[in-house]
Amino acid sequence: MNRRTLLGGLFAAASVPALAACSSGITSLDGGSGAGTGGGSSKSGITIGTANFTENQVLGYLYAAVLDAAGVKTTVRPNLGTREILIPAIKGGDIDLLPEYQGALLHYVDPKSKATEEGEMQNALAMALPAGLQVLPYGRAEDSDAFAVTRETAEKYGLASLADLKKQNGKLVMGAAPEVKTREVGVVGLKEVYGVEFKEFKSLDSSGPLVKGALKKGDVDVANLFTTDTDIQENQWVVLTDPENLIPGQHIVPLIADRRADSTVRKALAELGNVLTTADLTELNRQVDKDKKDPEDVANAYAEKKGLAA
Amino acid sequence: MYELFKNLGDWLVSGEQWSGSDGIGHRLAEHLQYSLLATLVAAAIALPLGLLIGHTGRGAFLAINLASFGRALPTVGLVVLVFLASGLSMWPVYVALVALAVPAIVTNTYAGMTAVDPDVKDAARGQGMRWHQVLFQVELPLALPLIMTGLRLALIQVVATATIAAYVSFGGLGRYVFDGLAQRDLVQVLGGAVLVAVVAVALDLALSALQRALFRHRPA
Amino acid sequence: MSIDWSWIGDHTDDLTTLTLSHLQAALSAVFFGLLISLPLAVVAHRIRPLRGLLLGLSNVLFTIPSIAIFVLLLPVSGLTRTTTVIGLTIYTLVVLLRNTVEGLDSVPAKTKEAAKAMGTRPFRTLLTVELPLALPVIMAGVRIATVMSISLVSVATYIGDGGLGQLFTDGFQRNYPTPVIVGVALTLLLALVADALLVALQYVLTPWTHRKQRAA
Repeated sequence: MNRRTLLGGLFAAASVPALAACSSGITSLDGGSGAGTGGGSSKSGITIGTANFTENQVLGYLYAAVLDAAGVKTTVRPNLGTREILIPAIKGGDIDLLPEYQGALLHYVDPKSKATEEGEMQNALAMALPAGLQVLPYGRAEDSDAFAVTRETAEKYGLASLADLKKQNGKLVMGAAPEVKTREVGVVGLKEVYGVEFKEFKSLDSSGPLVKGALKKGDVDVANLFTTDTDIQENQWVVLTDPENLIPGQHIVPLIADRRADSTVRKALAELGNVLTTADLTELNRQVDKDKKDPEDVANAYAEKKGLAA
Repeated sequence: MYELFKNLGDWLVSGEQWSGSDGIGHRLAEHLQYSLLATLVAAAIALPLGLLIGHTGRGAFLAINLASFGRALPTVGLVVLVFLASGLSMWPVYVALVALAVPAIVTNTYAGMTAVDPDVKDAARGQGMRWHQVLFQVELPLALPLIMTGLRLALIQVVATATIAAYVSFGGLGRYVFDGLAQRDLVQVLGGAVLVAVVAVALDLALSALQRALFRHRPA
Repeated sequence: MSIDWSWIGDHTDDLTTLTLSHLQAALSAVFFGLLISLPLAVVAHRIRPLRGLLLGLSNVLFTIPSIAIFVLLLPVSGLTRTTTVIGLTIYTLVVLLRNTVEGLDSVPAKTKEAAKAMGTRPFRTLLTVELPLALPVIMAGVRIATVMSISLVSVATYIGDGGLGQLFTDGFQRNYPTPVIVGVALTLLLALVADALLVALQYVLTPWTHRKQRAA
């Protein structure tokens, strides 16, 4: 690799990302093409996408289990990434169905929405979702974002609620998945609603090994976790209360492309939503994370036990 | 396209983007630290190994095959494996980067050594040079161009791959790539990628300048 | 860190699927890489001024982190296998292009002149004389590109693909070493087998190189 070839290449290379970038806006990610407004059909099968954390995969396989039982052909694509990646993918047609969380999804499609009650949020979602997408009825199970500290940190700084964080402005380090930095239920909202400013934001993962490891080790003081994570109880971490209701209700809700939403799918997913409780979901997560069982096996076993896959 | 590049321009020149712990200045320094330290450690392991194998001719088959085996090691897998063993520390990053750099340096050093004309070595020995004199005064200078090629190749790969540090919670320019992926902020991803490429090219130019300087002072 | 052998037994089907998917991604990348770099190499070999530009471009592409390439391709090809293959193909170019150009350069001028004197057309000379003689060097590039691609496929796990790489993210999220160890081992095995097969292929394709041993 001599000097001239490298330099020559640098100029030539400038045009390459450009080629990749210029097609944004006309292809899959932003186009709602192919998503008709009429009644959908699941006859040709459904591709279920899931985000990059255990619970979402469990939910994806639960959807698959009940849909398979209803005679719908399903494919599960585990671990695709964050909501920021998944929503464009469902719009573009790479996936058809996605286990979502009511409040977080609403914040994503309508950051200004003030709805907090489940029914309100469902209506707000119906209004705010881009053409071609819809949410089906939300289920009983809920998994909220939680901002947690260790018992020692809580005692040291006298922390019980998110409002208490303000007293320590500029002192504490916050750890969460990278997207939480720019999300309303995250750094943005904590500042707006509670006036909290952190000394530093550390990009970690979604209630995964990085954020929990960093909280244990003391690399971060405040961690963004999920309420269905059994490690919170196990480690006696303190979940800060939310007096101003920054964190919306997070009932599990299926997000589906119109093109695939037919009565078979609606019925099967509604049934699952009525059966699956928060405690059930927490237990299923535990089986995957702690007992190292496959999300798929755990989901199938649950569906069978509850008579959903008969 | 124009939009993305305009935004990239804004992103690269905004003062805010350059300062603080998540600023380009700090991330650049971290990236350089990971890359240079890993390449130095790799060179400390691989250069003596390559020189020894090249000088003695022993163990060449094994070393070269191990090196090509090393090239097949998936960096992501190695990082995760070391992470599971060591927990939240810099070990996963450095182990993976060193493992990436060693094969390129060993194979090129060995290739440089074997390319030295045997007659020249014989002549040196005939003049009564000791083995270390032959190695350092005859073989090494003649093998240097290929050795430097190996080092440069290793460094380029390490700089591009040091991005992975961000996957296990650390910094470097990979932070922009992984955060941009999670936030679907393509400007940030592109910014990170461009900076990595610029660092790689700049370091490569620096090493090639060093190489030319070394040759100029080579004893005739 | 211990291996949970029963996990392996329970997942042979999944492992087979992932391994095949992994191999398919890597081989597609090498295939498309060759498809792109062969004509480009001929151009670079014939037209000197373009040579530095093309080789330099492939070098610079090589310095861009693979994960960034995958992410930047998302607006174009989404969360699909296509994204994985395009990204990997870009990385094969640096090796394939350089080796093919070097291979063509290594063909002695006399041989080409002889072909010309016999009235062989340039394109035919390229196909029947130059490319076969360049084959050993090209094949060396194909071997490196294949091993490199097999090792790189797993990066696509960050965009939901990545073949055996899925075992890495899975093991990472659940603090579970077994899938990770198995994934690394299978990747190495795949690279080893693919490389051995390519050596065998080269042996069959270039009989002249081993009929007269080291004539040069």
